[in-house]
Amino acid sequence: MGAFIDARTVPSGTVVQADLAIIGGGPVGIAIAMALANTPLKIVLLESGGMGFDAKTQALYEGTKVGAPYLTLEASRLRYLGGSSNHWGGWCRPMDAIDFEERTWMPYSGWPITKADVDRYFVKAHLLCEAGTLYYDAASKVTGDLGPRLALGPGGITTRWFQFSRMHGSVLPTHFGVRYAAELKKQAKLAVYLQANVTRLGLNRAGSAISELDVATLDGKKFTVKPKAAVLATGAIECARLLLASNDINTSGVGNDHDLVGRFFADHPCPRDNATLVLFGGEIAPYYLGNQITHGAILRAGLFPSEDFRRSHAVMASSITVEGKIELDDFGKAAVASTAAALGVDASNAVAHSLGCGMEVTPDPDRRFTLDDSRDALGMPKLKLHMRIADQDFAKYRLTLKELGRQLLESRAGMLKLNLRTRDEWVASLDWGNHHMGTTRMSADPKKGVVDANLKVHDVANLYVAGSSVFPTYGAANPTINLLALALRLADHLKGVVK
Amino acid sequence: MKRPTRRQILWLGGGVVVLAGGGVAARLLLRKRFAPTPYDDLIALVEDRDGAAQIGETVLAEVEDFEPTAMAADLRSRIAGRPLAGVIAEDASDGRLVEAGGWVLPETLGLICALAAKASG
Repeated sequence: MGAFIDARTVPSGTVVQADLAIIGGGPVGIAIAMALANTPLKIVLLESGGMGFDAKTQALYEGTKVGAPYLTLEASRLRYLGGSSNHWGGWCRPMDAIDFEERTWMPYSGWPITKADVDRYFVKAHLLCEAGTLYYDAASKVTGDLGPRLALGPGGITTRWFQFSRMHGSVLPTHFGVRYAAELKKQAKLAVYLQANVTRLGLNRAGSAISELDVATLDGKKFTVKPKAAVLATGAIECARLLLASNDINTSGVGNDHDLVGRFFADHPCPRDNATLVLFGGEIAPYYLGNQITHGAILRAGLFPSEDFRRSHAVMASSITVEGKIELDDFGKAAVASTAAALGVDASNAVAHSLGCGMEVTPDPDRRFTLDDSRDALGMPKLKLHMRIADQDFAKYRLTLKELGRQLLESRAGMLKLNLRTRDEWVASLDWGNHHMGTTRMSADPKKGVVDANLKVHDVANLYVAGSSVFPTYGAANPTINLLALALRLADHLKGVVK
Repeated sequence: MKRPTRRQILWLGGGVVVLAGGGVAARLLLRKRFAPTPYDDLIALVEDRDGAAQIGETVLAEVEDFEPTAMAADLRSRIAGRPLAGVIAEDASDGRLVEAGGWVLPETLGLICALAAKASG
């Protein structure tokens, strides 16, 4: 143990015994393996890729999509050690307490845990992300020397803070595979198998527990891992695929008695240039426009709807970011001049900025993955994404933007233009956060979720799912630090139940 | 350098006066004129009447059953002789907003702009 093993060197037919198998060597798999380092557990971590990008391995992600526009399935994730942390932007922000609540205006909302249940894991998750001194919403106390916060009238939108994973060589946030490989190699009871693709979650005859995992390599080797327990940590798309495709015992797949696996897929839509912010005085603190390194952290401010505003206006968590300067057209100049004059404000130095965002969407059971007829190089069925996005999600975000416009007028600091109105306009402007979530949602009720509050698959005694696939709702926070906190909580749970 | 004579100075001064006077007269003659309306008192509250009319066209697209005379009466009652700045800040505070080509405007300002649009024909 304590080794990185190329699975292509493992003779076919080999049976590997383990206390715990972790399927997937992304941030979640790595975090769980490291959190269990000082336990007596014999752990096997199975990673599909190697230490770097390989086109043939990446092609295993290919699939098809129908419905609303979305990214190609192989585009926004990476299949080698470190997973999608190999290309993440490093944005970190814990979800808010309200994100965990059941909300009457948001169907299918409500986590079986509260923010308090996961709060204590954020410190360690933050450390794993190498995101410096932990501030988040306390950052206002240390950024005053960089400029004042945006002057907004009283209301629903407030300045809140993102932190960022440490920049290595001024470019890259923490790549978990590169950063933690040495520590993984030090773990005496851990074996990391690279090039090891799990192709089947093998249930026992009763369908009540995982008894074995089929592993295959792209050069044709096949072997078996027999774990006492397994954690599926392959990202929200591949988790659904493995559960659905492992249908030899239960024809609906593993953990899918209630037809929930693969449903409720979500990402954060990021419509470009969705609004124009004009500041009459022209000045804005630099931390709104980009990352600022200060007081041991990398910080950027965003504009977020308060919990009160979300409750009173039935809107989502969607965040707003201030982007680059733009030039106004003649109509815009007239609107700014007339409004500023009417308010009795000098707008001769007014500056306009484009606004970006991370939108939260309503959980939708029909935004889902199903198995496709075609198969990949390992013989596994590919996935088909049925993509949807509701008009009401755009409308709710527009309401949030309008509140920002109202507060700017009230403070006489500026004004706002809503750039997108029709569905076609919203859809044409869409970028995505590349945050895959929701396909194995968490619920105490097996009829409403795939995993329980401890991330165990309902009715399967020893299979857990970790990652943002378990998020029942999605918030506006970037998922990485949140899924890491949940993974660390799972690791604590596993210490008690896997012997 | 030769000093200008008294006659030259007088001619120069007279020329300047004639040019300035001509400029003022030209501005008065060329100034855009608007037909009087029953709500000129409200339109006069905005600085740029043409700009206001341009904005008002887009407000009119958002407001159903816009009847200028009734709207003017309503606005006068709302403004009640107070400075416009205070009235529209109050609009923002109370969430009375209209959209004009996507711009989020205080309702009173937007409606005055709509009157300007109506006045411009």
